[in-house]
Order: sequence, then C-alpha cells, then structure tokens
Amino acid sequence: MKYLPFVLKHLRRNWVRTTSTVVAMAVCIFLLCTLRSVLSEVDSMLAASKATRLVTRHSVSLTFNLPVAYESRIQSVPGVKGVAKTIWFGGSLPAKKEGQADETGSEGEATTDWSKFFNNMGVDADNFFPMYPELTIPPDQWQSFRETRQGALIGSKLAKKFGWKLGDRFFLESFIPPYRRSSGPFEFVVSGFYDADLAKYPGTDVSTMYFHYDYVKEGVGREIGVGTYAVEIANGDQAATVGKSIDALFENSSATSITETEQAFKASFIAMAGNLALLLNGIGLAVAFTILLVTANTMSMAVRERRTEIGVLKTLGFSSAHVMGFVVGEALLLGVLGGALGVFGSQTLLYFVSHAPGVAEILAGIGLSGLELKPAVATLGFFIAVVLGLFAGLVPALAAYRAKITDILRTV
Amino acid sequence: MTTMVSVKDVTKVYKRGAEELKVLDALNLEVPEGEFVALMGPSGSGKTTLLNLIAGIDRPTSGAVVVGGKDIAVLSEGDLAKWRSRSVGFIFQFYNLIPVLSALENVELPLLLTSLGKKERRERALTALKVVGLADRSSHYPRQLSGGQEQRVAIARAVVTDPQVLVADEPTGDLDAKSAEEILNLMESLNRDFKKTIVMVTHDPRAAERAHVQRHLEKGVLLLGEEKHR
Repeated sequence: MKYLPFVLKHLRRNWVRTTSTVVAMAVCIFLLCTLRSVLSEVDSMLAASKATRLVTRHSVSLTFNLPVAYESRIQSVPGVKGVAKTIWFGGSLPAKKEGQADETGSEGEATTDWSKFFNNMGVDADNFFPMYPELTIPPDQWQSFRETRQGALIGSKLAKKFGWKLGDRFFLESFIPPYRRSSGPFEFVVSGFYDADLAKYPGTDVSTMYFHYDYVKEGVGREIGVGTYAVEIANGDQAATVGKSIDALFENSSATSITETEQAFKASFIAMAGNLALLLNGIGLAVAFTILLVTANTMSMAVRERRTEIGVLKTLGFSSAHVMGFVVGEALLLGVLGGALGVFGSQTLLYFVSHAPGVAEILAGIGLSGLELKPAVATLGFFIAVVLGLFAGLVPALAAYRAKITDILRTV
Repeated sequence: MTTMVSVKDVTKVYKRGAEELKVLDALNLEVPEGEFVALMGPSGSGKTTLLNLIAGIDRPTSGAVVVGGKDIAVLSEGDLAKWRSRSVGFIFQFYNLIPVLSALENVELPLLLTSLGKKERRERALTALKVVGLADRSSHYPRQLSGGQEQRVAIARAVVTDPQVLVADEPTGDLDAKSAEEILNLMESLNRDFKKTIVMVTHDPRAAERAHVQRHLEKGVLLLGEEKHR
C-alpha cells in the first residue's frame, strides 16, 4: 500500500491521457454490461419456453391474423393435445381519465397514454391456461375470471405497478384498428392475479394481463381472427413433425401458416434473437479488443516516456519486480477506474430505461420487463476491465522488468 | 585505513553483435574508507563503466568488485538491488529526479524500500533536505527548482539511506560555475563531516581538484604515476 501514492502520482502525470483511457475503458465496459444485460434478459425469456408448446401464426407477418376455423383443424393433427386462440391486443390505459371510459367514443379524439402501455392478451382461457402450469392462480380467482365476461387476470408485477386490487375497474384502448370499437375503450374488471415461482421457472412473464378473447370479438361485433394459436403437443421431440403437419394443412389456403416452437417464436418476435446474440457478443468482443489495444498503447507510451525513471528506480535499489509491479499497478488502476465507471454507467442507463415512462412499458410489451444490470453481469464487466488492464500492462511491464540500468542510462 | 572499494583484475567487455569491445582491461583500484576519489580521463576511457561496477549497476566480465567487504559481482539481481538500496548512493549528471514527485517525495523514495513508517520516512527525508540546505523547498516539484537545487535534492536522495559509498557521474556537468561550486562544497562536506567515501567521475579539472585523489583512465586502464594527492 505504501507504493499506491507513487502509482497514483504517475497516473496523474498526464491526466488527459489517463482520463481518455479510463473513459475509453468505461465505454467498453458500459457497452459490454448493457449488451450482456439485454442478452441475459432475452435468454431468460427464452429459457421460460416449454418444448411441448408450439405457436402457429400467419406466414406473412404477425400483423396478419389467421382464420378462427383453423382451431379445429389444428386440433385434429396427430400429436396435438390442445389448441388455444390468442390475440395481442395492444391496449393501453386512456390518458384522459384513468378508471373511466373516454366518453367521446370517437377514434379521432380518443387519446392514448403510451406511458401506461403494457402487455395484454386476449385468450381462450379454458384452453390456454392449462398449457401454462407454471402460472399459478388462486382457484377462487380463476373461477371468478372464467365467469366474468370483462374479467382480467393480472400478472403480479403488473398489479404491483398499477396498485390494482380485486374488483378494480379500468379501460383499455387498443391501437390496432380491428380491435377498436366505436363505442369507446373496453372496460375490464380485475378478477384475479397470477404469479409464478421464478426460482423454479426463471424468466416467466408476470407482467401481462390476460382477458377473454370472446369479449373483444363480441365487443367489435365481428370476427377478428386469431393472432396466434397456442398449441400444446404430447411429445416435445415431435415438435418439428407436428409443426410441419399443421402448416401442411393450410399450404394451399389464402392464409398459410408457420408453426414453430414457443422458444423459436419468441426469438423471432424479438428481432431474431439468435442473430442478435451473435451481433451483440461480436460488438462486445470487438470493443473489448480495441480497448485492449488502446490501453496497451497508453501503457507502452507511458513506460517509454519513463525509461530514465525506470533506470533511476532500479539504481536506487528497486528490484525489477518492483518496477514491473508499478507498471502493472497503473494498468490495473486504469482497469478498475474504467470498469467501475462503465458498470455505473450501464446501471444508470438500464435503471432509466426500465423506469422511464413509456419505455419500460414498451419493453415489457415485448417480454423484456426484467431488464436490469444483474450482479453477475456487473461482476463480469468489472472483471473484464481488470483483466484488460492487466493484459494491457503486461507487455510494457515485462519490458520494464527486463530493461538493464546501463542500457537505459546510456541512452539518456 | 580500511579499504572501502576494491576492484581486482576487472575486465569488462561489451558485445555488439560479433564485435567485442574491451572497455576495462584487468583494472585494479583500491579506495580507502572516507576517501574522495576523482576518476578522470577522455571520453570512452571506461570511467563511467568503472563507476557503474562500483555502484553495482553493472557486472564485470571477469574479476572482483568488493565494496564494504562484500563481493558484489557474485550477488544475484535481487540481492544486488537490495545491496544498492542500503550501501550506495548514486548522483547523476542530469539529476534524474522523478518529475511527478515533490522534492521531499523524491528524497523519500529510497526509504520506501525500508521498513520505516511513513512518519519516520518523512522525518529522515526532511533531515536529508536540511543537510543540503533545501528544507524550505520540500514541497517544490523539480520543474520549480533550479539546476543546482535539483542536484542538491538528488544528493539528499543519495544520502538519505546513509550509504557507505557515494558515486557521482559528472555531478557538475550540467551546472553553471556557481552551482557547480555549491555542489562541490556539499560533496566535500559530506566527505569531511559525514565520512562518506566518494568516487566521482569528472571531466572538469576544477571539480577533480576538490577530491583527495585523482586517478586517470585511458583505454580501460588506470595510468601509472598519474595518482595525484591533494
């Protein structure tokens, strides 16, 4: 510790260079931590998928719905245990008066408060929820939900956010035209809450609101089609075969389908997460490598400038190991400072994103409700910064270690 | 009088590729304890090489270098570094102070290698600065000092560990006449009052005259009959 002030003094020698190196390191760690956090959340979401669940959607795009008549045909495919209709409603609380309908009833005048947007889905409850045993619902609340046309089942995290209690009423207005009605927003009543054992089923979404598919259909007064069919199969190993069989049924129809595993569906839904992982990891690695070169260059310059001082230190009796330690110590300090700054920056950004009105809800809408800097990611980022600092300092430190006093002083 | 420095049959050969350059050739030198010796000679005569061998920052190709009764030529790198930190003080021509450290911190630097606590290190460094007359400049950085003052701080750094031997390589080579005079007075005082054995390389006859003994080197050998006593 008695050498620490000496090392710090050297770091302050060229503060512009030191600061820019620390900032470069911080940006690297910031990017690594932030990208890793996004990937971690995506991985967590995908991990919550079950191999025996498939999703059938329109082959053109998620914005096109499939006919309702497909339900019975999918059910007839060998290996299929159950089928449930779902729609992604895209509803948010009207901005004007929370808890009351927008009385104008006019689409043109209705305003939507996007800061109160959250994930909400209309489902065929009796068929849908048995496919998701990880979602736990108190029996009386489940019964109440089934019997209430306007009933809503609220995820525990979402309920906490809005402070909803059983019996609370609220209105939702969809931004998707086929799900809007001329009489104004849909009114819902909180009939129950669902939760999940996140230790046993990590990544399970508890930020969604579910309601009855038929309520919207009846509300708009026409067939609204099906956004996706949730399909449960008997054997996860047969997912590909069953999926092909389902898609083959509609091959020559006007609405062809794509059936994929729940995991693949989620991955495609969040911008092809497979490629996203490769891209984000690639960016992180490239940035880390660049920073390694930048820091190594900084340390090499610092040591080159101080050749005479290295010779003087050795003349005074400092061993080669001491001198090497000073150089490595400086590089490590750069890593520690850059790492701490980067982790702090990432933590700040992720906190802001996950708490900012509007942004947090949109993230929750695509299943990224738990976006945060996890301790493991922060530790990894900090560790990488320290290792980068160590490696950056190693080559110049070895040069300082090997330098002979007479060679250095002769060239002064 | 006890011998402080004994250089016995020392040869130093530098290799530059296939070429071998003999800088010192079977050189012998005895420096008694408390002596002030000036080594003189033309450039390339081997003065600095001899000084480096005595200071333990270089090793002879053959022969023995005994300082304070210890053959330093056989010490390992680590032991030699420890020996340097305790037994020898080096004064450079260009002072070589660490620019980011204050005068006091520069003087304190060799004491970091001892087991002394911070307070005691500071006290000793301040005492050394008082000896060279720069206690009032302790918080100044090298860039805030004149050349003569910088060299005095460097001398304080050299004596702070109370070494047996001081070696000086052209200590007045970068100074004006007045500052050079002050430095030589200081070195004389260290030799006279603190009984330090001093070996000084110089081109300056006026500096050499301040030493008790002048030895002349030429082509790696000490010239016979060139020993001058004051």
